[in-house]
Amino acid sequence: MYGIEQLLVELATRLASIEAVNAFFRDPRTTARVVGVLIAIPAGMLGSFLLLRGMALTSDAISHTVLLGIVVAFIIMTRFFRMEPDLSSPWLIIGAAGAGVVTVILTELVQASGLMKQDAALGLAFPFLFALAVIFVARYVENVHMDEDAVMVGEIGVAWANTNSHPIGDYESVVITADDPRAEIVRRCVNCVRDQINPRDPAAEFIEVCSNCGEYSPGEAYRAGFTTVRPVLVYWPKSVTVALVMALVASLFIAIFFKELKITTFDPELARSLGYRPTALNYALMVVVSLVAVGAFDAVGSILVIAFFIIPAATAYLLTNRLSRMVALSAALGSAGAFWGYDLARGRLFGVLPLPGDWDTSISASMVIMMMVLFVVVLLASPRSGLVAVWARRRRQRRTFVDMVLLGHLDHHINRVFSRESLEAHIGWQPEKLAAVLDRLERSGRIEIDAGRINISRRGHTSLAAFRASTT
Amino acid sequence: MTTTIDARSSWPLIVIAAVLVVLFVPFSSTVMGVRYTYTLRTVAIGGALLGAVSGAIGSFAVLRKESLLGDALSHAALPGVAVAFLVAGRELGALLVGAGLTSLLGVAAIRVMTGYTRIKEDAAMGIVLTGWFAAGIMGLTYIQGRPDASQAGLDSFIFGQAASIVRSDVFLLAAVSTVAIVLLITFWKQFKLITFNAEFAGANGFNVTLWSALLSTLVVVAIVMGLQLAGVVLMVGMLIAPGVAARQWTTKLEAMVPLAAIIGAAAGGIGAVLSAVDRNLPTGPMIIVTASAIVAISVLFAPQRGVVWVVLTRWRDARRFAMRTVLRDVYHYVHDHSASVAGVPDSFIAGVRGRPGRRALNRLLARRMLRKTIDADTGTRWNLTETGQRVASEDARNQSLWDMYREAGLRLDLPVIAEQRDRDIRALLPPQAIDALTDLLGDKEGEPRVRY
Repeated sequence: MYGIEQLLVELATRLASIEAVNAFFRDPRTTARVVGVLIAIPAGMLGSFLLLRGMALTSDAISHTVLLGIVVAFIIMTRFFRMEPDLSSPWLIIGAAGAGVVTVILTELVQASGLMKQDAALGLAFPFLFALAVIFVARYVENVHMDEDAVMVGEIGVAWANTNSHPIGDYESVVITADDPRAEIVRRCVNCVRDQINPRDPAAEFIEVCSNCGEYSPGEAYRAGFTTVRPVLVYWPKSVTVALVMALVASLFIAIFFKELKITTFDPELARSLGYRPTALNYALMVVVSLVAVGAFDAVGSILVIAFFIIPAATAYLLTNRLSRMVALSAALGSAGAFWGYDLARGRLFGVLPLPGDWDTSISASMVIMMMVLFVVVLLASPRSGLVAVWARRRRQRRTFVDMVLLGHLDHHINRVFSRESLEAHIGWQPEKLAAVLDRLERSGRIEIDAGRINISRRGHTSLAAFRASTT
Repeated sequence: MTTTIDARSSWPLIVIAAVLVVLFVPFSSTVMGVRYTYTLRTVAIGGALLGAVSGAIGSFAVLRKESLLGDALSHAALPGVAVAFLVAGRELGALLVGAGLTSLLGVAAIRVMTGYTRIKEDAAMGIVLTGWFAAGIMGLTYIQGRPDASQAGLDSFIFGQAASIVRSDVFLLAAVSTVAIVLLITFWKQFKLITFNAEFAGANGFNVTLWSALLSTLVVVAIVMGLQLAGVVLMVGMLIAPGVAARQWTTKLEAMVPLAAIIGAAAGGIGAVLSAVDRNLPTGPMIIVTASAIVAISVLFAPQRGVVWVVLTRWRDARRFAMRTVLRDVYHYVHDHSASVAGVPDSFIAGVRGRPGRRALNRLLARRMLRKTIDADTGTRWNLTETGQRVASEDARNQSLWDMYREAGLRLDLPVIAEQRDRDIRALLPPQAIDALTDLLGDKEGEPRVRY
């Protein structure tokens, strides 16, 4: 990760001045937006495939296990390897992503055993995994980076403050070894704790250890006073690197396997018979989803990341019938939500409209709410699949249907003379409904009412014939 | 009334489960050294009550395949807590009513999305789950940003905070539970009908929409009551786990629901007590882990469908099948080669049936149905003992009768029965029918028609 980050820093400083880069990321708003958008893009693209494959809730399952995976990896790193816990460590990411894939396989196994339905298996797995994770956090983790709040909502708001410093130019890192004059040598009792004896006890054994040995990056060396050269540093947020790498992995995966993903999504049987491998691809997709979920955990927590997968994809699904457009739209909608989310968290809708009150709300939740706002707008107003369009279409269809039923009756009993009353007795509708239908038909010239006698007109015949032709 | 008789047969199971649960109290206080303080008593009783009622209601959700709906609904309760706090202040009743309202709004949103647009149910549930939850988080953080301090502990609705439960809450819980259980019993017939066959219920004039809505409302009530203890994230576990566990032990709704209630009570009570063992064990998650453990035990050990049971039965069946097949092989081999052969060569069975055949040979040897002769010239050979001869010829005759029944059963106008070739046909057909089949069989009795 650190090497990739250095490349990114190199690239950024080529494009802009060091001060500009530092100023860019020092603004909490820009960093939060960058991280949010970098999560929303891969999640939105992957979410489209999940949604179309009917696996929307798989992202839910994955995010829950990924949480447990992260917590367990965190504990193993701190307790057994005495490592500085770091949510951007590649080992942690790989371990947690592996846990995500294992859950998917396990739920499929449970389902295949027929002991419980899929929904029950997932409904059990979610709270169980979450409960385990919470217990572990409460019992074994005493670290500011990992508490219940961070698990729920992430720390995108402070992403700007959690940085690696990269020196620009040729500064040498300083290595302090035990024989260096600057090394601090202390004596440490090796058996005091184990045998519970006092250090003054003659049985106590001591070793000399160097308390400050190790390699210091130029920035650290300057701060520790080992060098007087003050290096020029770029402070690069760790979350940006993680999110960017995941975004690249996911985009590459989709770009390379777009054709395969498309065919296995819509017709797995055909794909299989053509020699593709839908199962292998499915697991590959799960791996990538897990990676993105792990990468996003730090920033948005483990529940809200599900929204990044599902909501923009569902919004795009209501807008288009083409897969490529859906993927692109989903990424764009997710990015828009993430972009405006920060402002909503500070009480400004779409960045301009001020909301009443004193706002200081969760940024990740606000990003989700902005996606939700976009979703609701599209849900209501989408030209083909929106609620308004659907309601209008159903109303029109209902009207056409009753019109045609009435015309059909008139046509069928062409030799009978109908008045309003006899027609009402014949067809058995409510008087108001019949009146409305007759009124509509008369206004459109499809029937003629002549001294109380209802006759089907030439235009009525044409329209009935057209309807019959269209339905057979 | 066969239903009640069958249901009665699972009452011992229910009673045993109840006794085990009650026995946990002395066990925990003596062996584990748990001290039943006032707080722990309150929390444990609250947990048990909640577990019982949510287990009973959740059984229906499990059977109606609405487990994940429960998950979405419990997440959807969070914004209600925030809004109710903003409107009415820190009043437990108001908070719970608000939670219930947004939760019901979530159901409605899912119904609209799936009913009117092309969004599938899983996506709709995901949207409601995360969208409502985000709104809740936003509301809570908004409230936390305000100067007054009365909001302290409001975010305990996320994971639940058992320690905040006081005696009056338990009374409230008991009252609501009683109402919910009474409703469940009163409308038992309707709920049962819409759970198992909604179309049939609709066709018989039951208002399926109304009863489904009432059932969903009961689910929401259970969720809302559990918010304080288990929180929105974990509540679905309380709802689902007891039902899934109970389902493994019985096939009758009349037994499943009480059993689920007992399992839920056990999970709630035991989880609360276990969390008192160490200060760092949160109660809600402990309850969920306990419930999941009960599910794991049920899935492994339940009779008829538990994993252990299924694996054992499968082994037994495979063994029996191999033994029967090998016995037939030996019988027919001897039959075909007349008495001149000195027995069936070892290599024949091994070649035809492989390793399972060898194992079956040794089992038959142990049961004294086969005899083994080892000869330097002809190698190992197998012969039927007297018992083996009797069993094998009996089986061959039975199979011939079955063949005959299949061939001539309809022509002879014999009673129609299902073909169960591993059973004795004489126990299934009347004696006259057997006589007719035997006549038809003539001297071919015992001759195999179908080779095995």
